[in-house]
Amino acid sequence: MLETKLPDTIERKRTSPGLDRSWWLPLAVIIGLILFFSATSNTFATVRNLTIVSAQASTLLIVCIGATFVVLMGSIDLSVGATVLLVGAVSVKIENAADIGASIILVGALLGASLGLLNGILYAYGAVPSFVVTLGSLSIFNGLGLQILQGRAITFNSNALDIIAIGQWLPPLQNIALCAMAVWIAGVLIAQQTRFGRYMYLIGGGEIVAKNSGIPVRRYKLYAFILSGLIAGFGGVLAVARLGAAGPTLGQDLLLNSLAAIVVGGTSLSGGIGGPARTLLGVLIIAILDNGLNLLGISSYPQLVIKGTVVITAVLISQSRGTGALIK
Amino acid sequence: MHKLRVNSGDTEGSFFDEGTAALLRVSRLTKRFGPSIVLDNVSFEIPANKTIGLIGENGAGKSTLLNILSGMLRQDSGVMWLHGQTYQPTSYHAACQLGVGRAFQEQALILNVPVYENLLLGQEARFLRAGLFLDRRAMAAAAAQMVEAADFDVDVTRMTRSYDFSRRQVMEILRACLVPVLLTKAEHPVILLDEPTSALAKEHELAFFRLVDRVKTKGAVVFVSHRLTEVLEICDLIYVLKDGNLVAAVESKDASEAELHSLMVGRARMSDYYHKTQQHSVQQNPVLLEVRSLTGPPAYTDVSLTVRTGEIVGIGGLLGSGKSALAKGIAGLRPPLGGTIKYRGSEIHKPEIRRLIREGIAYVPAERMTEGLIGQFPLAWNISMASGHDLFSSPLGRWLSKKEEAVASQFVDKLLIKSGTPRIPCDRLSGGNQQKVVLSRWLCRTPKLFVLDNPTRGVDVGAKEEIYRLIRALTQAGVGILLITDELLELIGLSHRIIIMQSGRVAAEVDAPTEAKPSEHDLLALMLPSANPTKHDAGN
Repeated sequence: MLETKLPDTIERKRTSPGLDRSWWLPLAVIIGLILFFSATSNTFATVRNLTIVSAQASTLLIVCIGATFVVLMGSIDLSVGATVLLVGAVSVKIENAADIGASIILVGALLGASLGLLNGILYAYGAVPSFVVTLGSLSIFNGLGLQILQGRAITFNSNALDIIAIGQWLPPLQNIALCAMAVWIAGVLIAQQTRFGRYMYLIGGGEIVAKNSGIPVRRYKLYAFILSGLIAGFGGVLAVARLGAAGPTLGQDLLLNSLAAIVVGGTSLSGGIGGPARTLLGVLIIAILDNGLNLLGISSYPQLVIKGTVVITAVLISQSRGTGALIK
Repeated sequence: MHKLRVNSGDTEGSFFDEGTAALLRVSRLTKRFGPSIVLDNVSFEIPANKTIGLIGENGAGKSTLLNILSGMLRQDSGVMWLHGQTYQPTSYHAACQLGVGRAFQEQALILNVPVYENLLLGQEARFLRAGLFLDRRAMAAAAAQMVEAADFDVDVTRMTRSYDFSRRQVMEILRACLVPVLLTKAEHPVILLDEPTSALAKEHELAFFRLVDRVKTKGAVVFVSHRLTEVLEICDLIYVLKDGNLVAAVESKDASEAELHSLMVGRARMSDYYHKTQQHSVQQNPVLLEVRSLTGPPAYTDVSLTVRTGEIVGIGGLLGSGKSALAKGIAGLRPPLGGTIKYRGSEIHKPEIRRLIREGIAYVPAERMTEGLIGQFPLAWNISMASGHDLFSSPLGRWLSKKEEAVASQFVDKLLIKSGTPRIPCDRLSGGNQQKVVLSRWLCRTPKLFVLDNPTRGVDVGAKEEIYRLIRALTQAGVGILLITDELLELIGLSHRIIIMQSGRVAAEVDAPTEAKPSEHDLLALMLPSANPTKHDAGN
């Protein structure tokens, strides 16, 4: 035949988008941070500190898992922190008005889900870019939350919530850390073993192709935002349960931290690459960094500078050249 | 088949007279993207004071060639000379400085600045005062001079946005043509025009022709276009690219539109490349698809056609005839505005892709890399994609990965997907094997009707033949095929019946039984608008 024989494949290194070379970098950073802080602070590598770090990281991890799905399909959810504040504030009010115990978790999750539904409808069916939708709802949810709290911290008492959040079924970890791990495992399973998870990858990797294959793209975009809101709502209740109060600063640091953790973990903002499994790594980096810098007595302003630098550097190194990560 | 002198790919084999000075000479240019060769040992000359037409199908390598000539891409091998000196621009800017200018297919204008800034884009350094400040008045004056030289009625101080698309296209061309002539003062500029007229209104074409003639007297123009009438009108010489090879060099005065077209699509045929012996009469078969007065403005209007089981109905037509948009309409991707679609005897009221897929319709788009598959994802993912709701997940939504891999392996074997494994990312496969993956996505659902839009575009000869064999096998099993294609030979070779579209309407329907296939010339005559040469570039 006339055809030129072409090499059909060059190499077979990568196996699946879920598992590839960008795993080792976040891992190396975590190990590096642990070694560094262990050497420079004598309180870092203690059991007590492990309890603290894991509890601090828990809210972030929970919230990030939902948001990871949104990023995975090529969108962005800026409103998770504000959802935590609003749900937290509402939960405290409800719990103070009528002690409904642990079922407040369900209420909070449902409230979060409906906030996510709102985002999702505007994004998927109103065709407003997710960045704009969630930037707007971030402000709305924050405003509502602060209005409810009247700008003050409101405390509450609930034995059931205390047990779920700060009890220790598996010392030295607080139960909130166990909840977070459960959410993480559920997120990983959803991403890797369900139709929903697969469609998130497909929509993020090639929306037009997904549409041409009959995947109900808009419906699944809506689902992703509902899931993100649901998990953020769950995280909101657990956060106030851990703190014993809802204050105006609740969830404030989650906007930066959640996106930082997701991206540093290796989920691409352009969608289709990464997943909840890796987000754990990103969360650990952010949490260890926060905790370690605190222990070293570095004040909060330089901390922000250092954290920002680490985020940019991590992404800079791990990104392969030429594949720009842009929000759709 | 034609009395043409074909450039052998050897610089010495050039057919120009010794006396003609070549401005630009190119020898054995080769460029690969991954496993596919986009340009294969292309050699030619651009003589001074000539307009050169560069034509070829989509994917023939025209844009890649221009990209290399204008310094935006680097060839893998091959040499270029400009004015007798080795020419290897490292950027578009460098090429411009050497007198090679280019107008882009996609307008490269900035809309919210005045016209003069666009006309002089990249030339700002010439208008600096004290090395720092832009002398805007001088810029506007220089731009006004350009506009005047082209006899083009535009106020250079107005916002670019305030002019319509066609006028902006003239600006794009003006910039490419006149910056080297008037500003850079390149002695013999070479101007590359990439499909400049497709967005040009009729009244601006004259200005364009004048401009080309003007530049020609100074240097040379390379004109890329799908509009063969214009190519014949403007150009002195026409180079034909096919699958990355320069297959012919024709003098315009000796050529006709039909000849050019068959050079673009033609290829030596094997004795039974299209498996015509397997084409059986389908007169008695039940009607599978019946489309009545389907309308999807502006791309197509009042289209009616039928496809029987086991039948291949081909749809041909020039670029912009609306045939691809029609395919999208029938497949339910862009639901049509009017008309009816009857499928297996019952009318489909709201054709919508998800429902049609369930009913057994499959659609293979023409743009494989952007619409057909996700290159970064594994082969198995790309195959299972359209069956996530029925074949590859449990009722509760658990993904059946084992089944997915098994089905993928099965198709790798069945369709001979070279170096295919379920987990290999599809961008590691060659075009033909990628297309087999797209086909497998639908084959695993055993569809009853295939809508194929250019199923062999960018596919090598071997894989092409395999795809043809597969299409034939499908018809044996009673699958109906609606084949939209730009390749005339494929259209003729495969189809039972051929529908020719022109400006969104059915212009003719031609029977193509094995014993009496229509000729390329017959079909071309039907595709070309006879009275009115204006073409609408709608919806493709």
